[in-house]
Formats: sequence, C-alpha cells, structure tokens
Amino acid sequence: METKIKNVMASIFDVELDQINDTTTQGDLENWDSMGHMNLVVALEEEFELVFDEEEIIEMMNFKLICLIVSEKLD
Amino acid sequence: MKDLKFFEIIKQNKILEKELKAPLYNITIISNIVINQIKDVIEYKFRTDGVNAKVRIGEYDNIMQDSIKYSNSNLLLVFWEMSNFNEGIYYNIESYDKKKLVEFIEAKKVEIDLLINNLVKSPLVLFNKFDSTPFTNSNIGYSNFEFVMNELNFHLENNITKNIKLINIKSIYNNISLSNSIDIRTYYTSKILYTVQFLKDYTNLIAPFIMSANGKAKKALIFDCDNTLWKGVLGEDGFDKIEMSINSKNGIYFNQVQKLAMNLSKKGVIIGLCSKNNESDVQNVIENHADFKIKNQSILIKKVNWLDKVTNLQNISKELNIGLDSIVFIDDSSFEVNHVKSQLPQVEVIQVPEKLSEYPALMNKVSNLFYNLSNTKEDTLRNSMYSDNLKRKSHQKKYKNIDAYLASLGLVVEVSKDDQQNISRISQMTQKTNQFNLTTKRYTENDVKQFLESSEHIVYSFSVSDKFGSNGITALAIINIEDKIAIIDTFLMSCRIIGRNIEFSIMNFIISELRLLKIETLRSSYIESTKNIQVKRFYDDCSFQNILVSKSQSDYKLKIIDYKPTEINYIKLLNNGN
Repeated sequence: METKIKNVMASIFDVELDQINDTTTQGDLENWDSMGHMNLVVALEEEFELVFDEEEIIEMMNFKLICLIVSEKLD
Repeated sequence: MKDLKFFEIIKQNKILEKELKAPLYNITIISNIVINQIKDVIEYKFRTDGVNAKVRIGEYDNIMQDSIKYSNSNLLLVFWEMSNFNEGIYYNIESYDKKKLVEFIEAKKVEIDLLINNLVKSPLVLFNKFDSTPFTNSNIGYSNFEFVMNELNFHLENNITKNIKLINIKSIYNNISLSNSIDIRTYYTSKILYTVQFLKDYTNLIAPFIMSANGKAKKALIFDCDNTLWKGVLGEDGFDKIEMSINSKNGIYFNQVQKLAMNLSKKGVIIGLCSKNNESDVQNVIENHADFKIKNQSILIKKVNWLDKVTNLQNISKELNIGLDSIVFIDDSSFEVNHVKSQLPQVEVIQVPEKLSEYPALMNKVSNLFYNLSNTKEDTLRNSMYSDNLKRKSHQKKYKNIDAYLASLGLVVEVSKDDQQNISRISQMTQKTNQFNLTTKRYTENDVKQFLESSEHIVYSFSVSDKFGSNGITALAIINIEDKIAIIDTFLMSCRIIGRNIEFSIMNFIISELRLLKIETLRSSYIESTKNIQVKRFYDDCSFQNILVSKSQSDYKLKIIDYKPTEINYIKLLNNGN
C-alpha cells in the first residue's frame, strides 16, 4: 500500500519516487499546493476505491498521515 | 482514456508533452469554478490524437477579464456555472419575488451580451449551456433557479455569434449519471464541482470540434457488407434470406444504420464498401433489393472482391486521394478488425457490437467523428464532385500524354479577391487541406474576416471548373503586403484538383497582380508537416530562390522582375475583379 501511495504522489507532484519518504510533508514538495492536494485526493480515491471525508482531506498533511488514513479506511 | 486513472493520465501526459512535436493548439479555460484537473485530461486526450493541446486555466471567477485577455487562444472553453453566480444562489434565489427575479435575469443577460461581445474575435469558443441540475435535480414543481436557467439559455441561443458553440452538459449526466459527475463535497470545500470522470466524458464530447478545427475530421465511412450492412451472409444465405428490413427482428438495426449512412452522405461524408464478396452479387443487392436503403450513386467507392481488406483500404485511400487517417472502417469480424488495426493503425476501425441493439447508437456516436465546424455548400456538393473526379480519371486513360488530356478538359479558373461571401469556405479550406498546403496555417472564420478587412492582406480564392462540372472554390492564396515586399502566407489547393498544373497558372496570376501593385520582392516559405511532402519543391519549381533551409522549413525569395511565367495554355483564368 505504501508503494502504491508513493507512486501516486510521485506522478501527481511530478517528482522521483525516492523524493518521497516517511517524513515528506506538504512544505517539502513544490507542487503540493492546494490544487495539488485536491489532485492527490482524487488520485488516491481512484487508486484505492474509497471516498474520504472532508476532515480526512484536511488531515492528510504528510506521507505518514496519508498512509494512516488510507489504511484505516481500508480496514 | 476511459480506463486510465487520473495519476496515470498526468504521468502519460508529461511523456507526450516531451515527445510530441506538433504545433501548439492553445486552449484556455475561463471559469467561475475550480477546474484545474481538466488540464491534464484534455491535453492527454488530444495529444494522443496528434493535436498538441496546451491548456491554460484562467483566473478563478474572472470570466469577463479573461475573455478579453485570452481571446487569441485557438480555443476558449467557458465554464460559467450558475451555482456560483454568487454564494448560495441556488437556495437564496427561491425566495426572490417576481420583480427581483426579473431584475436578476436581466442583469445576467447584460453580462452574457458583454461576454459574447468580448469573445467575438476568438477563433472558436465552446460555451457550456447553463445548467441547474446538480442543485435542482430533486425538486418537484416550480423552481426559480430552473426558470433562470431556461431564460438564460434561451437568451444565449438567440444571441451567440457563429464562433461560439453551445455544449450540453446534461448529456454527460445522462451518460455517466449525476452522482458520478458532481462531487458536492469538493464543491463546498474548494469550489471543485466536477469529477475527473465527468471531465473525461466532457473531453470526449468536445473532441469533434477540436479535431475539425485541426483538420482532423474524418471524411470517409467504409462498410463491410455481410453482418454489417445486413444480417446474414449473402454468398451463403442468398439474396432473399439476408435481413435489413424495418419489419424484421434482426434487420431493423441494419435498416437504421443504412439510413444513418444516407444522412451522412447528404452531409458530404463519403460512403464506401470494402467487402469479401462477389461483386455482381453485392451490386444486385444495392440495385434490386427492396430493403436496401443506400442509393447506388451515394456509394462512391466499392472494393468488393477477394483481396485482403488492408490492400483494399489502401487503394480506397489512393483513389479518393484522402489520407488513411480520414477513413472510418466498419466490420463485424474480429479477424478483419484486428488485421486492419494492426496493419493500418491510422484507420479508425469500428466493430459491429455483438448485441445488435447497440449497433445504431454506436454508429450515431461514430457519426460525430465526421463533424465539421463549417458545413458549407461545398460539402453537400462534394460527393457529386468526387464522383465527377472518378469520371475524370477514367477519361484520363484515353489520352497519350497528360498535357493532351489536360487540354481536353477545358479547365477554367475563376479568381475572386477578398470575397466576403465565402468566408466560411475559405476558413474551412485552411482547416481541412493537408496535402497541397505550403504552410498549413489554420484559420477560423474570424481570422479570415480580419484578413479581408485589412489592407495589408489580399485573399485570393479560386474556383475551378471543367467540362465535367464545377469543383467550387478549391484553391486559396493569402498574401501579406509590406510596402514593396509581399509574403505568401498561405497557398493551398484541395486534393480534388491536384495534378492539373493549376498551381502554376495561379502563381502566374498572383505575380501579374503583384506587378500591378508595384511590389518588388516576393517571399515565401514551405513549412513541413506530416502530409505536405509533395509540395516540398513547389517554390523551386516556380524558380524562386531558396534562401534558407532548416529542418522543417525552407524560405524563398523572388525578385518579381525575374519571374518567368510557366507556359500553360490550356487553363483559362477569369478574373472577377472584385
């Protein structure tokens, strides 16, 4: 699941895979602005076939939290 | 694209952006909602189809200013959403009294007029019709918001200029459902109204306009026969057993497809056959079967034989003088469909669906591929002109050399200068002509209008006829004048009149005109495209001096005084002198 998320993030933010690690957060990537964030949400929803709540969308501020929220959703 | 996920589209689009070396087609989205996700979807879709689309998203809720700022984009898409006219309008408006409602509508009409006026010089605008559905769908009874929608759409339909086409968003809701189209959650948090699925469907909906504007509309619809134009196999079931009657269970679908083909033929689409059958058997059906609805003279080309379909389609392309990428081919057999797909990837191949009830609707969709931005008189005439052309070709065989043949044709070229009556035909030629086109510059009707009005441009259009009939306006030259220098901006001829040395006669004429205008130097360029190799040496043949050669362009210069006219005495040139 973490690899899938990394893949999605790399495509959406136009960076290499290794630029995304456990500590990656919104400020680290140039394209991770508010629009980029919505693109990420859409892409993750498609990839994992789920729908996030508004709260969760706001909470997904870094890679760790994204993994956490996605895994909670999938359970 | 349907099956690609959004992040895959983004990824693939990045790759295409680097690889595709076609001229840019600039699209600007002007909108009062957040719609940034459309950028990659549109760019990806059209780059895969060979149009190098570059999308710019205008500022959020800045429609009026953006419509002026970006009016020179090749294409503008207008997403003016009622739901965001102002915050919460969809609920507030239901409490308006009649006076306030009328005032609101009148004020919006003024804004619409202003916008239309701002857009008047834009080459092409796709304007989404106003739609209240996401917010009124569950209402029963009367709704002010819906009333506003109807009033504004009515006003829009009655006031748009020719360069604006209205897009019916509702058809997407019908296609993929409202809940798959709208994400109300992201609308409340960030004014993103539409889902990626909607944006994909929208992109397909507008594709015919964009393909047509880029000279990529399809031209010929070629049918297999057995189980494609009728149910059954003619060679086995026989004349009496094949079904295509409106009264037969299996035949009705084929009846409808035949009628659809007839309608397309009337709009100028070439209808043809490519079938493994005995020619006389099929001809017998066409001429004598009471249920066969396509008229014999509407089928412009027939390849009914036992050759393979790839060879036949190649011959069709050669004989009609159209590119393989202008052809749509329909067959029921997976073998044939895959064979053609693998050997001729340029051809759009459609397979008759297994569930025959889906066949007419599929063909209805296919007919969009032939959409033409400027449907002019020439289109309906075109079919009779193509068949005149085939007559000419058989006539050709009797003469010993080509000059003797050309001399026998009685060719007449009529010139019109800055002809206001034929703006749409002139624009259409720049958009559709690929082979004999020296610079392949595409112009909209608005562009042409500006050329006609400007004193720095001369637009010559040429109408060609011979003893077999008239080809209508089939050649065009746009000349820019800068003091003593003239530049050939555009020089093109329809493929229907290629091979008659008309181009040299036209060049003689242009130069005699420039002499009268006291022009001293004429400059010109050949800009290479994937389809215009045959005219690469045209200016060399006209004895222009080649002054610069780069990878995809050659520039030429000619001192008017040095020009030696090509001797052609069998073409009569009439100058209408307007």
